[in-house]
Amino acid sequence: MFSSKPRRAHRILVTGASDGIGLLLARAYARRGHHVLATGRRHIADEKTTFRSPNVIYRSADLSEPEEATRTLIETMQDIGWRRLDLAILNGATAWVGPPEDEPVNGIRNQLSVNFSAAIHLAHALAPLLFVANGQLMMVGSTSVNKAQGAFATYTATKAGLDGLCRSLAEEWQGRADVKIVHPGPTRTNMHAKAGLKLGLVRLFFMSPRRVSSAIQCAVRRKDVRRRVITRFFGFRARFSRAGKGRL
Amino acid sequence: MKALITGAAHGLGRALTEELLHQGHDVVAVDRDTEPLNALSIINAGACTVYNADLQNVGSVTRLLTNLRTHEFDLVILNAGISATGKFEDIPVVAYDRLIAVNLFAPIHLASRLVGDGLMTQKSKIVFISSLSHAVGYPGGAVYAATKDAIAAYARSVAKPFKKRRVGVLTVFPGPINTEHAKKHAPDNSDTSKRMEPQKLAKMILKAAKGRSRIYYPGSRAYFAGMFGRMFPTLATRMMRKGLYEKMKDPIH
Repeated sequence: MFSSKPRRAHRILVTGASDGIGLLLARAYARRGHHVLATGRRHIADEKTTFRSPNVIYRSADLSEPEEATRTLIETMQDIGWRRLDLAILNGATAWVGPPEDEPVNGIRNQLSVNFSAAIHLAHALAPLLFVANGQLMMVGSTSVNKAQGAFATYTATKAGLDGLCRSLAEEWQGRADVKIVHPGPTRTNMHAKAGLKLGLVRLFFMSPRRVSSAIQCAVRRKDVRRRVITRFFGFRARFSRAGKGRL
Repeated sequence: MKALITGAAHGLGRALTEELLHQGHDVVAVDRDTEPLNALSIINAGACTVYNADLQNVGSVTRLLTNLRTHEFDLVILNAGISATGKFEDIPVVAYDRLIAVNLFAPIHLASRLVGDGLMTQKSKIVFISSLSHAVGYPGGAVYAATKDAIAAYARSVAKPFKKRRVGVLTVFPGPINTEHAKKHAPDNSDTSKRMEPQKLAKMILKAAKGRSRIYYPGSRAYFAGMFGRMFPTLATRMMRKGLYEKMKDPIH
């Protein structure tokens, strides 16, 4: 509907793009004519049908091995000739649900690597490319950081870590690149099912991934937003704001 | 009372160990460098047990947990921590891996297993050491601050589930402490007179661990700085940048 051609095609990296919010973000930016490098753990055979656009390049990279995943992505960017990056959305995440005293060590390690460590590795590796473009680093947190969550203790910790990282890093990178974070509330994605949580009808009250994706795009565009909480009811602005109007 | 202290060889951990032994309690002291603890364990024969463990290494933490199986603790202070300061992009990424392992993975792993395997007595307490940076931000120590924020969030989240197991949780947010470790990371010729003495802080933490509060900003300076940081987060972080980040030269990790 709003797929007006952008003034300049931007280069955008989206992690966790094989499913859920990341997939929608990749599709939305590609539809508007931007170049998107999408990444996720799964293999996607047919990029064109999955992302509904020829503008998306997909590389599978497992964020639970942050060093390797970062190397893969940096090499891919060199291969396709990206020397600058306008936007990086660090969206990939995984969760383990249950009492914290029963949490297996591998579950802890996995969440710390995918949600937290990988974000640091990527931010570190992408910094020069972002500085060249005066770009933007957008992290995806969770509303769980605002409330104690007994069943998601490590997940909450990793997201609170991202929030803290964003706060200090935004101040460090001021004038060179923007660092932002959004905290979406419960969203109807597959993350809960992957974490072994059966929700049933409760899912009906969750936000649709589409709604969260457009709210994230809105937060990307807005210059005055550095940290935004995306909740069910107070965010309709995102739905009505015109996509593709600003810089991104 | 039996206590477990990680990072017990130097700084705050050392002060906590000495204070607990002085008060007549049993201490299990853990550090990667156990040399400085030898004298303590000889003087306090029987009361002070020393284990060598490198919290950077998961295997080492697992071995430590196997060794701890014979104990039951009334107090656990997960104090061990490291830092890396400088511009975010100048610090090598391996230093960040170390930070995450020691400041975040190890305390989560230890807390989860100590409670899950029943190594904590009834009405025992786990103390997590976060940092005042949780309230004010830390440009120039972004990942350090992030790990400390994360551990504070973890502590807050596990408070309820651990309470069902009769284990209390306390998070401490200390400001600058007068230790070798802190001196290493502070900008040159910074004023050390306002730093808190570890011995004094150790006494305060042990007193707070007996109480019922879940969070503790030790000392009036940390208390007011914490309050200021929560009321004016952006301004506080900006002041931290002016005061610390812009004075930094080479990265230290």
